Amino acid sequence: MQNSIITLARIMAVLGGLVLTALILLICVSVLGRGANTFAHWDRIEASAPGVSAFLLAAGVAPVPGDFEIVEAAIAFSIFAFLPLCQLKNAHATVDVFTSFLPHRMSIRLKAFWEIVLCAAIVLITWRLGVGLIDKMSNGETTLLLGFPKWWAFAASLLAAVVASIVSIYCATVRGLAAVRGVDVVFDEDGAA
Amino acid sequence: MSMLELGFWSFPVLLLLIFARAPIGLAMLGVGIGGIWLALGEPTVFLAKLKTETFTTFSSYSLTIIPMFLLMGQFATLSGMSQALFKAAESWLGHRKGGVAMASVGACAGFGAICGSSLATAATMSKVALPELKRYGYSGGFSTATLAAGGTLGILIPPSVILVIYAILTEQNIAKLFLAAFIPGLLAAIGYMITISIYVRLFPASAGTRPAVPYSERMLALLNVWPVLLVFGLVVGGIYLGWFTPTEGAAVGAFGTGLLAFASGNLSWALFRNAILATATTTGMIFFIILGAAFYNSFLALTQVPQELANYVLSLGLTPWMVLTLILVFYLIFGCVMDSLSMILLTIPIFFPVISAMDFGLVNLAELQGTMAMEVLASGVPPGMGAEMLESIQTAIASGAELTREQMAALDIRMTQGMANRIEAEYLAIWFGILVLIVVEVGLITPPVGMNLFIINAMDRETPMVETYKAVLFFVASDIFRVILLVLFPSITLLVLTL
Repeated sequence: MQNSIITLARIMAVLGGLVLTALILLICVSVLGRGANTFAHWDRIEASAPGVSAFLLAAGVAPVPGDFEIVEAAIAFSIFAFLPLCQLKNAHATVDVFTSFLPHRMSIRLKAFWEIVLCAAIVLITWRLGVGLIDKMSNGETTLLLGFPKWWAFAASLLAAVVASIVSIYCATVRGLAAVRGVDVVFDEDGAA
Repeated sequence: MSMLELGFWSFPVLLLLIFARAPIGLAMLGVGIGGIWLALGEPTVFLAKLKTETFTTFSSYSLTIIPMFLLMGQFATLSGMSQALFKAAESWLGHRKGGVAMASVGACAGFGAICGSSLATAATMSKVALPELKRYGYSGGFSTATLAAGGTLGILIPPSVILVIYAILTEQNIAKLFLAAFIPGLLAAIGYMITISIYVRLFPASAGTRPAVPYSERMLALLNVWPVLLVFGLVVGGIYLGWFTPTEGAAVGAFGTGLLAFASGNLSWALFRNAILATATTTGMIFFIILGAAFYNSFLALTQVPQELANYVLSLGLTPWMVLTLILVFYLIFGCVMDSLSMILLTIPIFFPVISAMDFGLVNLAELQGTMAMEVLASGVPPGMGAEMLESIQTAIASGAELTREQMAALDIRMTQGMANRIEAEYLAIWFGILVLIVVEVGLITPPVGMNLFIINAMDRETPMVETYKAVLFFVASDIFRVILLVLFPSITLLVLTL
């Protein structure tokens, strides 16, 4: 169970990272395309080297149309996909100084308590995102330039959010149960607890 | 309870939750949601908001910069540029008193130009520089403190993740903020080097010496860092010149450093995957705080607390400089216990309206008009301008008086009080942003919970934390001195914007 949860979180994070990498490449292609297009339309090039200009334009150099729509739709999936790993590693920012004087057991229980609240928040977010998805599907909203349905991006995000919820529920349960016994659980880099 | 009271009470509740170790993003989200619920008396509004707000926050085009800069930092770590930078700095400075420590600071500054995160800069440069510092007989605490301080240059020198967040929160131009951060960042590096040179004179036993290397070798080492300059120039220059948007610049930078990492032969699939996993963890953490801040801030906006607070502070009759000093001191104190990003997201929506309401006199209408008029006159008296008009304009400039509508029409320039106010507002936002950036970064190296200190101490188990604490105070002093300098002379920060 535990190993499959860890694998799941890592696979989601890597998927999100690959999407991020793809977006980086897409933007770079778009920037290059725009640059080449401007170059081909530059007066001096059009005048002195019309062949180069015509060749570039014929080859279709131009910015990727609607690139920012693709970025906006896809980056949301990436961020949602990063959440499970963040949950698993308990990587959320906290202020520790004022609770550092607490006895060890108390401190573990406090941490587990917040983990359970956090889990509830993530499940809430996932539930509302699902309702949002149904809204977008029923009203048939599409993006401005490319015209793809807005619910596609919501659906991809929801998938990642569901994984975040599963990982979160697992972490909250395991850490919560361990905290009752006064034990801390750390999911190691290599997958061992 | 009135809306306003609700808004004011949310501060102590939020702080209590955060100090009770609630994840900061969660605390803001909870208080935001709870506040909206209480304020409106029913849950439907926040439930409806939640349907799209999370998605909207996560799919923001401008926030896409953050994962891209983080991945860029990971690639920079793998690119081997840290070694090249250290070698170059070390061959030029290493033979001086405390020179290897100075070189570490210099290399951190170079690395900060392709990495937008302090923690990554501190960790990466420590890996390279700590063994060398040890080898040349530098004491443990002095070495770790130097690298902790040097690491903050990762954020001070653009690109910088914190500045991106500040720009989005205050709706400022990211390119101008990056540009304005450049000189204060350089000043930081120079300040740290001066600190080092004072430190080794006070404690001569803390540093070893080393013979100088020949100039040919120095030149060669310097040549090897050209990719850093190229990527930095392309990203920051490209954004500033309008070749691409900040998000596009971040993508180009990530691609460039990715290429460097690939060319260095370090980028195996396993390391690439690790880079992604590290980016994922930090991105997830940051975006959860941003999400919480989005809800908390919309609750605050609902209660109108930020405007009321600004009005209240104005009514106290404090001078702008006192208000600024209080805010900066607040950041210094809070920075000892809270991370910089959470602090910015938590406080800027409250402090920024207060600061914006203040008049620091950064811009003078007559001066602006005078500069514009002189520019026109420098290229010759415009045709059709009478001698009388010319004389009246020259008199006005000389006496520092504002130009009249007729005089401006004759010169074909336009600068009204409204335009000057807008420039003033922008300058103020940028200047304040840089000051806040510096003071929150001091938090990274102030005991007891400076994150940079922890990271480096984890890499150097032999040095007791107390030794690092002692030495790092010198660098904190240098930071505070720099903040005072930048507060007293806003033009140090703003000069680049007027060019």
